[in-house]
Amino acid sequence: MKLTKISDQVTATQAENLQAATGGAGETMTRRTFLRNSSLMAGGAALATTLNPAMMKRAQATETKKAAQVKTICTHCSVGCGIIAEVENGVWTAQEPAFDHPFNRGAHCAKGASVREHGHGERRLKYPTKLVDGKWKKISWDEAINEVGDKMLAIRKESGPDSVYWLGSAKFNNEQAYLFRKLAAMWGTNNVDHQARICHSTTVAGVANTWGYGAMTNSYNDIHNSKAILLIGSNPAEAHPVSLQHIFKAKEENNAPIIVIDPRFTRTAAHADIFLRIRPGADVPVIWGMLWHIFKHGWEDQNFIDQRVYGMDEVRAEVAKWTPDEVERVSGIPENQIYAAAKTMADHRPGTFIWCMGGTQHTIGNNNTRAYCIFQLALGNMGVAGGGTNIFRGHDNVQGATDFCILSHSLPGYYGLSAGSWKHWAKVWDLDYEWIKGQFDAGSYEQSKGKDVSPMNTKGIPVSRWIDGVLEDKGNIAQKDNLRAMVFWGHAPNSQTRGKEMKTAMEKLDMMVIIDPYPTVSAVMHDRTDGVYLLPACTQFETYGSVTASNRSLQWRDKVIEPLFESLPDQTIMYKLTKKLGIVDNLFKHIKVENDEPLIEDITREFNKGMWTIGYTGQTPERMKKQQQNWGTFDYTSLEAEGGPCDGEYYGLPWPCWGTAEMAHPGTPNLYDTSKAVAKGGLNFRARFGVERNGESLLASGSYPLGNELKDGHPEFSADLLQKLGWWDDLTPEEKTLADGKNWKTDLSGGIQRVAIKHGCAPFGNAKARAVVWTFPDPVPIHREPLYTSRRDLVEKYPTYEDRKSFYRLPTRYASIQAKDYSKDFPIILTTGRLVEYEGGGDETRSNPWLAELQQDMFVELHPRDANNAGVKDGDDVWLESPEGARIRIKAQVTRRVGSGVAFMPFHFGGHFEGKDLRSKYPPGADPYVLGEAANTAMTYGYDSVTQMQESKCSLCRISKV
Amino acid sequence: MLINHRRVLQLLAALLLLLIAFPAFAEDVASSHKPVTVPNPATDLWRAVNPQQLPPAQAAMFPRGGSQVQGVQSGVLINQQGQSWRHFRMKQLLPTGGYLLAGAMLAVLLFYFIRGKVLIRDGESDKKIERYSVYERMIHWFMAFIFLFLGFSGLILLFGRSLLLPWMGPELFSILASAAKEGHNLFGPLFLLALVLMFLKFVIRNIYQKGDLTWLLKGGGIIGEHDVPSNFFNMGEKTLFWLLIIVGGLIAISGVVLLFPVFEQGRGIMELSHVVHAIAAVIMLTVIIGHIYIGTIGMQGATEGMTSGYCDLNWAKDHHSWWAQRCIDEGKVLPKQQSVDGHTDNPDSASREGVQ
Amino acid sequence: MARMKFYCDAERCIECNGCVTACKNENDVPWGVNRRRVVTIKDGEAGERSLSVACMHCSDAPCAAVCPVNCFYTTDDGLVLHDKDICIGCGYCFYACPFGAPQFPEDGAFASRGKMDKCTFCAGGPEEDNSAEERRKYGSNRLAEGKLPLCAEMCATKALLAGDASVISDIYRKRVVNRGASVLDWGVSYQKASLRSSKGMKGKATMEE
Repeated sequence: MKLTKISDQVTATQAENLQAATGGAGETMTRRTFLRNSSLMAGGAALATTLNPAMMKRAQATETKKAAQVKTICTHCSVGCGIIAEVENGVWTAQEPAFDHPFNRGAHCAKGASVREHGHGERRLKYPTKLVDGKWKKISWDEAINEVGDKMLAIRKESGPDSVYWLGSAKFNNEQAYLFRKLAAMWGTNNVDHQARICHSTTVAGVANTWGYGAMTNSYNDIHNSKAILLIGSNPAEAHPVSLQHIFKAKEENNAPIIVIDPRFTRTAAHADIFLRIRPGADVPVIWGMLWHIFKHGWEDQNFIDQRVYGMDEVRAEVAKWTPDEVERVSGIPENQIYAAAKTMADHRPGTFIWCMGGTQHTIGNNNTRAYCIFQLALGNMGVAGGGTNIFRGHDNVQGATDFCILSHSLPGYYGLSAGSWKHWAKVWDLDYEWIKGQFDAGSYEQSKGKDVSPMNTKGIPVSRWIDGVLEDKGNIAQKDNLRAMVFWGHAPNSQTRGKEMKTAMEKLDMMVIIDPYPTVSAVMHDRTDGVYLLPACTQFETYGSVTASNRSLQWRDKVIEPLFESLPDQTIMYKLTKKLGIVDNLFKHIKVENDEPLIEDITREFNKGMWTIGYTGQTPERMKKQQQNWGTFDYTSLEAEGGPCDGEYYGLPWPCWGTAEMAHPGTPNLYDTSKAVAKGGLNFRARFGVERNGESLLASGSYPLGNELKDGHPEFSADLLQKLGWWDDLTPEEKTLADGKNWKTDLSGGIQRVAIKHGCAPFGNAKARAVVWTFPDPVPIHREPLYTSRRDLVEKYPTYEDRKSFYRLPTRYASIQAKDYSKDFPIILTTGRLVEYEGGGDETRSNPWLAELQQDMFVELHPRDANNAGVKDGDDVWLESPEGARIRIKAQVTRRVGSGVAFMPFHFGGHFEGKDLRSKYPPGADPYVLGEAANTAMTYGYDSVTQMQESKCSLCRISKV
Repeated sequence: MLINHRRVLQLLAALLLLLIAFPAFAEDVASSHKPVTVPNPATDLWRAVNPQQLPPAQAAMFPRGGSQVQGVQSGVLINQQGQSWRHFRMKQLLPTGGYLLAGAMLAVLLFYFIRGKVLIRDGESDKKIERYSVYERMIHWFMAFIFLFLGFSGLILLFGRSLLLPWMGPELFSILASAAKEGHNLFGPLFLLALVLMFLKFVIRNIYQKGDLTWLLKGGGIIGEHDVPSNFFNMGEKTLFWLLIIVGGLIAISGVVLLFPVFEQGRGIMELSHVVHAIAAVIMLTVIIGHIYIGTIGMQGATEGMTSGYCDLNWAKDHHSWWAQRCIDEGKVLPKQQSVDGHTDNPDSASREGVQ
Repeated sequence: MARMKFYCDAERCIECNGCVTACKNENDVPWGVNRRRVVTIKDGEAGERSLSVACMHCSDAPCAAVCPVNCFYTTDDGLVLHDKDICIGCGYCFYACPFGAPQFPEDGAFASRGKMDKCTFCAGGPEEDNSAEERRKYGSNRLAEGKLPLCAEMCATKALLAGDASVISDIYRKRVVNRGASVLDWGVSYQKASLRSSKGMKGKATMEE
C-alpha cells in the first residue's frame, strides 16, 4: 500500500510563526545547542530528522488509496510542459513526470520541477490587505471590494474611466485573459495592457505586418526537422530549458549547426557551433550583413521570393549598404564570422530562426523583428517543417493573453479598435454597441485624418509608459486626466524601466490595487502610507482553464488544489469587483456564475464564438479536454495524433483552428505551410495589406496550399467573394443568414471559413509576405543607434527618431535624449536578461525556497577589464549608476561571459531600492526569501517606434566600488 | 627480577588478546568488497575531469568550477584528497596505530615481567618532601582525566568499528560512538586549556639542563645503574612534558580546526587536520602508556607525589638526587606522620613555609 | 541484479538546475542541504560544460570505508545507502567522498552537524519501503514503486540518466555514435569557430580530431 506524506495547509497565523522561526530568508537551520546533542539518548531517534520543520511542514503520512493524478501545465514559461500532480485528500503531495506529454516528455527545468511549492505557498499573500498609516491591515474581501470599487467609481466620476489603469497578466489563463479584456471594455477604457508589451510586442507588430500573424510559426517540436538553428538575442538554455531537448535532437540527429548571436556568451552559446558577439542594439546590421553575403552569392531562394514575397528589391538596396566593413564597424563582428553564419544558414536548409528579448526590446524592435523575418523569407525557410521563425514567448500564457489582446491597441483576436471591431464584439457579447460606446469618455483628445476620434477607438497608454500617464502634464496626454488608479493584476512593476520615476508615480496615485498571489514589489517600492490594496489571487494550480503555449497550442489545465488561504481565482475576483462597479450583468451575460465563481467553460465557448481572426473557434472545452486525456497519442515531432480518440488532430489544436468545432479542423502546426491542405493544417501568407500596391500585386503568385482550387493568390474571403466565386450556395441557410454581408472575421456562423476551406482556400486570403511595411516609420528596416549609446561616432549616420508629441496618448522622446552624450560619464553598455531559476519580476519564484537558494544575490556581470578599471573584484559590492540618476547597490560577478565594455544584470530581483533593504515593508510573512535591487531601477527611457516596447537591452551605466 | 607464574599467564593472556585484535581490524581494513566490473559509462567521464589523470600541463590549467548551489567547495567536481585521506586512515593509520599502541602495551607488560618494578634502593624512609602542590596536582589530574577521556573516546572512533562493533551490534555501538564523539568534542577545548595551564605551571622546571643528556645516556636509571642524578624533573619527564606541549599542542590546534568547520575551510584542510590530529594522538597515547606505567605499577613510590603531594625522601634521592639534596639543604624535609588508621597526615596542617 | 548508476551527459547539461529542484521537491530537502548540485567548469567561456553531481553510488564506496560506525550498506541494486539512526554525524564520509555527496543539515560547530543526508537514488533507507518513517528521514522511495530517481526523470534535456548501468551505457554509446558519425557529414568548408574542444572532454568531434 502506498503511504505518502501529507502536508498541512498553512494557515495565516502558522505562516507568521513560520516566518518568525526561520528568522527571515536565507538563514540556515536553527542551531541545536550542543547540550541537547550531547544527551546520551538513543542516538538515532533524537538526531534522526534532517527536516527543518519551520521550512516545510511535512506532516505524518496517511494510509491512502492511490493518489489522484491531476494533469495540468506549468505556469512558468511558454514551452507549456505537462505536469502530473499527485493529490491526496486535497493536498498536493508529489509531482510525477508527465512522460507522455508531447512537449516535454516528463522533463522540467528548475522552475517546473518545483511547482509543488505553490501548494505550500508559505510566502503567499494570504488574505486581503490594506495599507493604513504605513501598516498592513487585514481586511475582508467584502471590505476590499467595496473600498476599491467606491474609489474607482469616484475617480470615474471625476476624471473619467481612462483614469483607472487595468494592468493585466500573461499568467491569466485564456478564459481569464479574455474576461479581463472584456472587463476593461465594459469599464470603458483602452488603458489595459500586459507583459507582452514589454516582451514581444515588437515581434507581434513586426511579424504580423510582414505576413499576417505575429506568432511563432512552427513549434518547439518541429525543430527536430531543422537542419540549422540560429538564435539571436535568445538564451533558451535559461529561459526555455526544455526547448533545448528539441534543439539538441536536431543538433545530434541532423547534425544541425547552431549559431548564437548575443552580446554574452550564454549557456546556449556554450552548446553552439558558431558564436557571434554582437554589440547590443546592432541586430539590423548583422542580419543585413548576413544577407549581404547571401545576396552576393545568390544563395537566396529566388523562386520563393518571386512567388511569395513582395518588396525584396527594396530590401536588397538597403542590404547593399551593409558591407562587411560597415557591419564590423557598427556591430563589432568581423566578416569571417558573419560569412560563416550566413553560409551555414544557406547550406543547411530548412533552418529555423529563433529570437527573444535580445531582439525585441529596442527602440527599433519592430525593425529587428522584420529583418529576422526577411532573412527567413530570403532563404525560403518559411512555411516548411524545420524552418520558420520560432519565436519563443515568455510567460506561460503570454501568447493567450496577447491573442485575447489585453493590449491597449486592440480587441481580442487583434480586431483593432475601429467601430467595426467594436460592433463585432458587441454582437458576440450580445450587448448593445451604443451602451458600450456610452461607457467610454465622451470627449475627444486626438484626431485621425482630420476628424475627432473617441478614446474608444484610440490606442490606450501601454504598460511601459504608465508612469508617464501619471506624471506627465495632463494637458499633454490624449485623454481627459492623468491616470489616478493602477490595478496591477498579476503584473510586477520591476519588469518596467525607470524604476526611480515609477516610485514617484506610485506615490502620486490615488490608489494602487495589487491582485496577485504575492505582494510583489508594488507593495514596497514606494513610500506610500495609504491607498494600497493587496488582494490575494490564487495560482493557476488552484483553478482550471486553457492556456496557449508559444507554438499556438491550447492546453487544458485541471485544478490541482483548492485556493489556499483566502485567495480566489481571478475570474471570481472579476465577478465580485464588477458587481460592485455595476457592469457585472453585461460582463457575464452568457456566462454562468455559481457561488461567485464564473464557469470557465462558458467563457471558452464565448470566445469560441468570436475569435475568428486567429482561429480560436475550434478549440472547445470538450476537444481540449479530450486531448489532455490522450497526451501520449500525439507524435513527438509532428504533434499529430495517429490513431486514438484524437486521430488526425494536432496537439493543442494550434491556432488557427478554423471554423466551428463541428468542422473539426485539426489545428495548424506550422504556419504558412503550403505542402498541406488548409483543412489538414496547411496555410499560406495572409492577405492583410490590400491586393495591390504601386501597380504590383500583393497576392501570392503561383503558390498555394495543397488542394487550393483557385491555384493562385486571392484576397481574403467575404460573402461578396463567395458569391463572385459561385460558392455562396455551399453555405447552409442558417449560415447564410449570419454570413450575409460579412467576411471571414465577422461571420459568426463560421460558414464563410468552412466553405473557403472546403475549396482548399485559406479564409484570410493568399498573399505575398511583404518585406516593406509602408505604414511603419521605417518601411524597410534600418539601423538606428539606441537612445543611450556609447558609439557617438555612429549617431550622425544612424540617428534615432524625432520626438513625437503624441504616441499612444503620450509625448514620446527620441532624438532629444540621444542628443546628449553620456558616454564619458557612463561608459559601460548595460543590458539585462533572465536567469533560469527565476521568472519575471521574481516575487513568486524568489518565494520558493528551492529556487531561491540557488540565486541569493542580485549581481552584475562585469568583464575583467572593466572590473580592473574600476578596482572591483569578484564578489565586491558595487554601485551601478544610470544616466537618469538612479543607482543600485549590487554584487559584481567578474566573468568573461560578457564582452569588454558591456555589463549584464538579471531583472528578476526586487525588494531593495537604491541600497535600502525594503524587507520590513512587506506584509509580515509575505516577503520573498531572497531580495535584491531591481535591474530596472537603473534602466532608462527608450520606446519602440511602433509598439512602445521599452529599450531594456541597451543603456549605459557606470560601475564603482562601494 | 621476579618471574612468577601468575604473571606469565597474564602476559600470555594479553598476547592472545592482541593477536585476536589484529586480524579483526586488519580484516576490516582490507575491506570485504570485491571490485565488481560494471560497464559504468561514468568512469570515462570522471577520468576525463579528474585533474590527477590529466597530463600535468593540462591539469595545471584545469578550470575550477562553480555552482549555483552554495556551500564550501560546491564548485569542486572531484575531491582528490579524499582518496588519499581514506587511504591514510584505513590503510596506514589504522594498522600502524594499532600496532604502535598494542606494541607499547606489550612492551610495558614485557618490561614489567622482565625488569619488574623499580624499587626504592634503600626502601621507604620516614621522611617526605613536598613534591606537588594542590594546584599542581589538580592541573595534572585535570589533564590526565581529559587526556584519557579524549584518548579513549578517540580510540573508540578509530578502532571501534573493528574491535567493538562486531560484538556490540550497530545500534548499541552507535550510541557509544555518538557519545564518544560528542564527549570528545565537548572536552576537546578543555584539553587546550589544560595544556596552557600545565605549560605555565611547569615550564620552568622542564627546561633542559646540564646533566639531562647524561641521564639519557645512562638509561635513566631504569635500565642498568641506579646512580643517575637529576633535577626536579629528569630528562625523561622533561621530554614527556615537551612532547605533551608540542605534540599535544598539535592535537589541540588540529582539533580546534576540526571542531569548527564553520570558517569555510575546505575538505583539504579538514583532512590535513585529521591526519595531524591522528598521528599526534597516537604518538601521545603511545608515550603516555609508558608514563602511566612508570607512574603507577612500574615504580615504587612514584604515585604518591601526585596523589598526596609528598614523595618519599629515599625515592627522591634515588631518582631526583640533585633536587632532593637541595630540599635537604633548604630544610624542606618533613617527617612522615602516620595517623591512627594509617593515613598520612594532611599536608595542610604543617606549615609549608620553611618548616626547619 | 541490475546495478544502478547515474550518468550526466556533459554535452547536454545546460545547468537548468531542474535536477536540483526535482530532488528538493521529491525528498523535501531543507534549505542548506543539497543532495544534488550542478557544477560548471569554464563558466562563461568557450568550452563551458556542466555536470550534475550527486552520490555516485560507488562500487568501492569511500564513505562506507571510513565510517566509524559502519552505517552504510550496499543494496542489491548496487546503491550505497546509509542508516541515519546509526550515523553519528562525524563528517568523515564527507571528507572521503570524491563528489562531496554527503550533506549535513547543521553548520557543525562542535561538530554537531546532525545526521548525514545524501542522495539515495530515490531508494529511501533501511526503514520499511514507503513508510512514514522512511519518508521523513530519507525522502522518497521511488525505486520501491518501480520508478527511477526524479532528478533524471525530470532532466530537461535528458542529460542526466539514471538506471541500470548497462542500459545507460547503451544510451550514451548511441549518443556518442550519433555525434561522432555526424562529423563525417560536415561538408561545409568555411572556417568554423569550434567551441566544443574543451580539454579532456568527450563530445562532438572537432576539426582537430
